[in-house]
Amino acid sequence: MSDPNVSAVEQYRNNFLREVEENVDEGQWVKMCMQCGVCAGSCPLGEHWEHSPQKLFMMIRAGKREAVLSTNSMWMCTSCYNCVVRCPRQLPITQIMHGLAAYAHRLGLAPKMQPTRDFSIQFWENCTRTGRVNELRLTIGLYFRDGLVAGFKKGWSMRNVAFGLLKAKRLNPFELFKGHECKDRKGIQAMLKKANEIDARKKRPTT
Amino acid sequence: MSAVGEMKTAAYICRGCGIGERLNTKQMAMVAQKEGKMKVVREHDFLCDASGVQMIRDDIANEAVTHVMIAACSRRAKTEAFNFQDVPMARANIREGVIWSQPEGAAAQEVTQDMADDYVRMGCAEVKKMKLPAGAPVASQNRRVLVVGGGMSGLTAALESAEAGFEAVIVEKQGALGGWAAQLWKRAPFRSPYTDPVDTGVAELVAKVTNHPRIEVHLNATLAQTSGAPGAFTVQVATESGATTALEVGAIIQATGFTTYDIAKLPELGGGQHPNVVDQAGLEALVIAAARQGVPVKRPSDGGEVRSVVFLQCAGQRDDSGKHLPYCSGHCCNTSIKQAMYFKDANPAIDTVVLYTDLRTPGMGEDFYRSGQTKGVTFTKGLASGVAAAGNSCTVQFRDFILDEDTSIEADLVVLATGQVPNSGVNIDIPEDQQPAVKPISILNLTYRQGKDLPQLKDGLTDSHFICFPYETRRTGIYAAGPVRRPMDIAQATEDATGAALKAIQAVENAALGRAAHPRSGDLSYPIVPLEGCTQCKRCTVECPFGAIDEDEKRFPLFNESRCRRCGTCMGACPVRVISFENYSPDTVGSQIKAIDMPDEFSEKPRILVLACENDAYPALDMAGMQRNVYSAFVRVIPVRCLGSVNTVWITDALNGGWDGVMMLGCKHGDDYQCHFVKGSELAGYRMSKVDDTLKQMGLETERVASYEVAITDIARAPQLINEYVAKIQEIGMSPMKGFA
Amino acid sequence: MTAPIPTSQTILVVGGGISGLTVALEAAECGKQVILVEKLPTLGGRTALLYRYFPKLCHPVCGLEINLRRLKGNRNVRVLTMAEVVSITGTRGDYTATLRISPRHVTAQCTACGDCAKAVSAEIPNPYNYGLNQMKAAYLPHAMAYPQRYVVDPSIVGTPDGEKARAACKVGAIDLDMKEEIIELKVGAVAWATGWQPYDAAKIQPYGYDRFANVVTSVEFERMCDPHGPTGGKILRPFDGEPATNIAFIQCAGSRDENHLRHCSRICCMASLKQTQYVREAYGEGGKSTIYYIDIRAIDRFEDFYRKVLQDPTVRFVKSKVARIAQDDKTGGLILHGVDTEGYHRYEAPHDLVVLAVGMEPSVKGADIPAEVIADSSGFLEGSSGGGIFGAGCASGALDVNRSVQQATATALRAIQVVNKAAAAEVAR
Repeated sequence: MSDPNVSAVEQYRNNFLREVEENVDEGQWVKMCMQCGVCAGSCPLGEHWEHSPQKLFMMIRAGKREAVLSTNSMWMCTSCYNCVVRCPRQLPITQIMHGLAAYAHRLGLAPKMQPTRDFSIQFWENCTRTGRVNELRLTIGLYFRDGLVAGFKKGWSMRNVAFGLLKAKRLNPFELFKGHECKDRKGIQAMLKKANEIDARKKRPTT
Repeated sequence: MSAVGEMKTAAYICRGCGIGERLNTKQMAMVAQKEGKMKVVREHDFLCDASGVQMIRDDIANEAVTHVMIAACSRRAKTEAFNFQDVPMARANIREGVIWSQPEGAAAQEVTQDMADDYVRMGCAEVKKMKLPAGAPVASQNRRVLVVGGGMSGLTAALESAEAGFEAVIVEKQGALGGWAAQLWKRAPFRSPYTDPVDTGVAELVAKVTNHPRIEVHLNATLAQTSGAPGAFTVQVATESGATTALEVGAIIQATGFTTYDIAKLPELGGGQHPNVVDQAGLEALVIAAARQGVPVKRPSDGGEVRSVVFLQCAGQRDDSGKHLPYCSGHCCNTSIKQAMYFKDANPAIDTVVLYTDLRTPGMGEDFYRSGQTKGVTFTKGLASGVAAAGNSCTVQFRDFILDEDTSIEADLVVLATGQVPNSGVNIDIPEDQQPAVKPISILNLTYRQGKDLPQLKDGLTDSHFICFPYETRRTGIYAAGPVRRPMDIAQATEDATGAALKAIQAVENAALGRAAHPRSGDLSYPIVPLEGCTQCKRCTVECPFGAIDEDEKRFPLFNESRCRRCGTCMGACPVRVISFENYSPDTVGSQIKAIDMPDEFSEKPRILVLACENDAYPALDMAGMQRNVYSAFVRVIPVRCLGSVNTVWITDALNGGWDGVMMLGCKHGDDYQCHFVKGSELAGYRMSKVDDTLKQMGLETERVASYEVAITDIARAPQLINEYVAKIQEIGMSPMKGFA
Repeated sequence: MTAPIPTSQTILVVGGGISGLTVALEAAECGKQVILVEKLPTLGGRTALLYRYFPKLCHPVCGLEINLRRLKGNRNVRVLTMAEVVSITGTRGDYTATLRISPRHVTAQCTACGDCAKAVSAEIPNPYNYGLNQMKAAYLPHAMAYPQRYVVDPSIVGTPDGEKARAACKVGAIDLDMKEEIIELKVGAVAWATGWQPYDAAKIQPYGYDRFANVVTSVEFERMCDPHGPTGGKILRPFDGEPATNIAFIQCAGSRDENHLRHCSRICCMASLKQTQYVREAYGEGGKSTIYYIDIRAIDRFEDFYRKVLQDPTVRFVKSKVARIAQDDKTGGLILHGVDTEGYHRYEAPHDLVVLAVGMEPSVKGADIPAEVIADSSGFLEGSSGGGIFGAGCASGALDVNRSVQQATATALRAIQVVNKAAAAEVAR
């Protein structure tokens, strides 16, 4: 299988805007931005964004492919939808941000060790395996993403919360070994497989 | 009944609105009778009521009263009640001007009564000098509308005039009608939906005009000469062959449009340097040529495929270096969007970028902007610093303001959105020896003494200075319409032309009835000039703000009544005071100045004459009265049509007569002038600067004459100015001239 | 003025602001019969509530005075105030308009002496100052009001205050029994000039107009700067009445926004540029204005004015649509949050006072006009299917005064064309 990034570059050459329109969820809205910046100012995590949404749109139009796809900006989006309700052009900014993040991930350009991305991957793998989210494993996976020592330190710092949860019977240590799963695990996985196929077709209409 | 022509004056003194309680109206009546020599004098408790008005009407009908003086409220109030069309009327402002602007109480009683008595004296003196205006003599009543220019504006002006039942003539310099609009592939939409370029409609309009029974068209023709006045213009229409035809018309609309700014003046943007850099008009030509062949637009350099186009907005416009056009042409943002759509609609794969600093798509243009974006036009906020064109490609260097970087973009075609340069003819305000080397060709070739073309406002535009009155040019009966007046798009130009057509029709109607045009609309008075006294000093012909006065072959001033706006600037200018209106003259004002009861030097009652612009300062004082803003009882206010109409004789008469000071309250002059007669207040300022010498000769302090700029909103400030001035005069002391008159 | 008898040759003008006045006067000065209908007790409309015009900074009432003089001297115009059009039926050249005339409770005998206002004690919010202060319930709308005649507010009719007003009037001009009237008129053409209204700023939730005292609209700020306005021309913080020297202007407050008004209101950029000069007038170099904008739309000749303001060191421009405003509840001070998009700079800018440059929407939207008309997506009037009803001024689009007058003058001619044709048809018959 060829590198999706290399083939995308070849296919779209200098036209990153078109690439985004054709490959990113709601990407066809990017051209509608009029650079008012209300999205940038409305974002509760705005200061953590290297490039604000409106700036990303301008960068897309200016063909700054590398910079856009490798930034961690869109990974900052927490889906609060403040920007969407305030955008005077009614751009679905939240969706576009997730679309861009997903596209960057698909192309393998998303920043490595980006916490949101890590969490998304772990969460996805965790929940698709059994059809149910295993909170204990997910938590531990996140605690230890920066290494063993860091993981123990993090766990130790959270011990009081853990004991509390244990006492309230909200945390079952045996989940660590097996965990519960949904009734039709095979069925869920078949559905996800099919969904993936459909998604792949939709994302690459020209290939 | 008295004999025909015999003057019978009557004074009516109102006791309503507190006048009766505050003042001794009997005394005022006595003043009117004894000093004012009024034949009939009546008091009434409520003069503006039906019974009061009827009393006056009865006197006119039964007692042969010919002149009416009303001492009641301001001349601005109760105009419906005091509306006697058949007699001259003077109004003494006792309510707003006396009892409302003076404090109540015994202490002020005497000076307040003095004030009221004086206003009665002044009203009586004024009315005796007034005549009922008869209307300017009607020389001719030609009702045809001449339209200069056969573009979108001119065609519209002619058609709309004709549709209102008037005849119209179009004189067009080119060999065909349609102007710039005919050079366009399409135009931006002007009604819902604002999504796509639409047909220009010019062919249909040309057809309507050409087939209209009331419209006559002269092609390849210009105006060799224009003379006359509204209702009676004579124009010589010259054709290429040199033959001229004389036409009689009633009013003129100048719809001479614009020329595109020369892109060769923008070499740094590739203008005139490379075939692939064109202006908006150039692009229209390329699109039309391609459409005729049924092929996509080609690159001019090699006929190659156009895959990318960059539009540079504000090229040679909004310029503060003084090299290019300082203004924005208003239409170019929408035009570039439209042109980008030409490409996008034909082939969405063509890249189109509009490089702008402020995208200006007002009103529903916002929909068109959105539509452009929907079609994939890219809008980049940035400013081009240069265009390097070589071979078949152009590189646009620019500053991207959003991404905050200097960058560049490649394009097959670069379109410079240059501006409109008005075709306004000769700038008559530039002296002959300072005219540009390449002298502009006159459009109208007016025989007017003040110059061949319409005066220009700024940047060559023949616009009106007035926000509330966009059509008011300084040449009555000649109106500018379309981009010659102000940069504009087709939608606005057609609206503008329709409005100009109305003004032309109105000018014709006014001229036919011998009445004034704006702002003294309907005024039937006009300047009457017995030439026996005229010294041919030419001040009136030079100073008339409306170019209404020419010179006859004996070098006497030749008044064109229907060109006159009745401001009285000529009257103010005339050193020998031979110019007057029937109801406003050196005498109507002069007699008021002489009529007051002048207290002696030891009375401690100075008298200050206030000459106030009737449109701004006088209403301001009225409203001051309404709000009970008190001002000195030592002033006597006379409204004037404009400070420009103030003749220095009034000043010298006043000073000789013992007045202690003269205050002139007029409108702002200078760049943002507010004088609605354009030059009146400025001229007054100039004339008054010369009064100092006279004062010195008379042995008087120069402070005894002062001018102030007062706006209609100076309701608090005007009384304050008066009080400060009176205090200053009191400090200087009483005039030594008292008792000599 | 005498009353023209309404016929198919009469032009009905609905709305007595600058546009309606212009249509009426321009047509009347061409010799046409006009009936001018105004909903409020006075002519003049919104321009009478402006302190100054851009770009000359001259006073709107100066032009109003000229127009009122034209009106007073013209016998072709009949003015009906406090009158609303309820319906228009019929066809081009032959319309029947039904009008509802509200009681003024003051007859034409009124001399505007003001005794009634002195007598009453009840007060009502002053609509001519956008409710920023109170006025007596017997009132003259403003100093330039025409007709120059008082109004007795219906709220005091039947109260002791109403009786006091009646008793105070020496000329017996107060009629507390005056009733609403319905009248019908035959007219040939209609110019619909009902103008605009400011967009409801409270709907722009993040700006807190309904929550923060120091957030005002541009029309309110205009009144505040007028020496004859509610603060006597002082620029004050409504929160505590202290001088406001650091002022933010937020452009496109409602305009160019799919959530509010889709169109650009055209006037707001110039209005804010103008209002920065009020701040300068009030405080000299000590005042500070910041304009938050998307695009500065100083179209055509107005560029001059923009350039002048650009050179003013007390004025700063930030390309940004402000995201939200927060208030310090103790001081009433405001913090504007947003991003300057020219280079991506985040700001938290403190200001004393925020002026929302609110958009312009039609006072009567197309769908609410009681006649068959065609309107655009924002409710501005494009015309009528029958061709005898015309939009004039801001009823037809977002226009400044100059363009309104220009458009209204054109409308006058279109109306004249209709009545002239109606006249010709009558002669033919």
